[in-house]
Amino acid sequence: MSGEPPDVVGAWLHSHEEDTETAAVYRPADHPFRPSRRPRRGLEFRADGTFTDLRPGPDDRPREVPGRWRDEGGGRLRITFPAGDGAPSDLSVISCADGVLMIAK
Amino acid sequence: MTEPTVSPPPARDLCGTMLVHRRMLNESMSYRSQRAVIENRALQYEIGRLSSARRGPVVIPVVVHVVAGRDHPEQNIDDEQVHSQITVLNQDFRAANPDVSKVPDVWRDLVADTQIEFRLATRDPNGEPTDGIVRVVTDRPGFDHRDGVKSSRTGGADPWPSDRYLNMWVCQLAGSLLGYATFPGQPPHLDGVVIGHSFFGTTGTAAAPGNPFNRGRTTTHEIGHWLNLFHIWGDDDGACSSDDKVADTPNQADANTGMPTFPHVTCANGPNGDMFMNYMDYTDDAGMFMFTQGQLARMNACLEGARASFLAAMPEAEAEAVRADGSRHADAGEARGVPDGEVERLLHDSERLTTEALHDIRAALNTVAGYSRW
Repeated sequence: MSGEPPDVVGAWLHSHEEDTETAAVYRPADHPFRPSRRPRRGLEFRADGTFTDLRPGPDDRPREVPGRWRDEGGGRLRITFPAGDGAPSDLSVISCADGVLMIAK
Repeated sequence: MTEPTVSPPPARDLCGTMLVHRRMLNESMSYRSQRAVIENRALQYEIGRLSSARRGPVVIPVVVHVVAGRDHPEQNIDDEQVHSQITVLNQDFRAANPDVSKVPDVWRDLVADTQIEFRLATRDPNGEPTDGIVRVVTDRPGFDHRDGVKSSRTGGADPWPSDRYLNMWVCQLAGSLLGYATFPGQPPHLDGVVIGHSFFGTTGTAAAPGNPFNRGRTTTHEIGHWLNLFHIWGDDDGACSSDDKVADTPNQADANTGMPTFPHVTCANGPNGDMFMNYMDYTDDAGMFMFTQGQLARMNACLEGARASFLAAMPEAEAEAVRADGSRHADAGEARGVPDGEVERLLHDSERLTTEALHDIRAALNTVAGYSRW
C-alpha cells in the first residue's frame, strides 16, 4: 500500500463469511451482518490514537480490550496494549474503501 | 457548596479521578472475589465433596422485558412468542425436548434432567398481579453489548430484583449478536440475559424463513451461563489448554458452528470427539439438545450458592396462599422442591458465602487503601 495513509478510523466488525485465503474482511459495525452465534471480532480505531480490540468473551458478548494504534506508513498499523493485556501487534491494511477494510492474514 | 461554573483545581481532579479509579478497582475486585467463592463451591460439587440437597424441581420466576423501537413494531413481540420461549426452556432444562433422542448413544447416559423450570412471574415486585411481561417503547434503534437495554436511563427497561426474578431483556441487538448473559456474581442491576427478538422463542419474528436460530436455544444457552456454565470448549481460542471445568464434557479445541457431523475429533478427544450437540457449544439451534450430569452439578452449586434465594424464596402462588392461610407456611419449602431443613441449611450456606465474600472484599479494599496512600 502506498500514498495516503488508510483512513481506518471507525468501528469495524469481522465479516468472516467474506474472508479470502489472504485477507480478513471487516465492515462497519452498523453493516447488516448475518446473525452469528460466535461474537464477531471487532476493531475500533479512534482519531485520538486510542483503540479497542473486541474479542469474543465467555458470556457471548465481545470483551473490550483497550489499547493504542498508530500509522507506521506503508499500510502498517502498530497496535499496543497495556502490560498484561496482550503483546503488541502489527496489522497490514490491504485496502480500506467503500465500507470494506481488508487486513492481511 | 461549589459554584457549578467554577472549574475544580487540579488537586480535586486528581482526587476525583482516584475515586473513580478506586471504585472501578473495588467493583472489579468485588466481582473477582465473588467469582472465586462461586468457583470454589462449583469445584466442591464437581469432585463430590458437596452434593445437591434439592428434591424435585425448582421454579424460577421470569420477567421478560420487551424493549421495542418506536418505529419498529415488529420488535414488540407478541405474548405467544414469549410463551413459546418459556415452553422451550421447560423442555430443554427437563430433558423433555423431542430432539434429545438424537444424542449419540455414547453420551445418552450423561443427559441431565436439571429439574429446573421457568414460569412467567404472576406477581410483580410490589405484589401486584402481572403476566410477567414488561413492554417498553424506546427511541433507540437497537442496543449493543454494553448493557444499555438494562436501564430506563439509557432507553431500556429497569430490572426487577435479581434475587427473586430471572430478568430477560428482548430487543433489537446490533452487530449480529444473538444474545449475552451475566455469570453469577455480577452487580444485581446487570444480572440476567439479553436476547435478540429474532432469536427468542419459536414463533413471530423468530419464525422468519432461513433463520437457523429459531428454536429458542439462544435463551437456553444464555441461561446456562446465568447458572454458571462455561462454553464447552473452554474459551481458549482454539487451544486445548483450558476446558469448561466439567469432567463429563470432552475437552475440545474451539467452538463448533452450523450443523457438525458426529464424530468431530479435536484435542485428541477421539473416538467420540466434541460434544457439539451440547447447549453450551455454538451450533445452530437444531444442532444442540443436551446438558450433562456434570453441568447439572455446576448448576446445582450455583442454585445452592450464589442463587440460593431462588430455592429459599417462597413461590409467589404459595405466598398468596400463605397470606390467606398461615398454616400452609410449613409446606412452602417442600413445594419449592427443597425439604424444610434443607432450606435452613441453604440459608446458612448462603449467609456463610456472603460473609466469606465480604471478608475477601474487605481485604481487597485494605489493599487498595494502602495503595492509594502512595
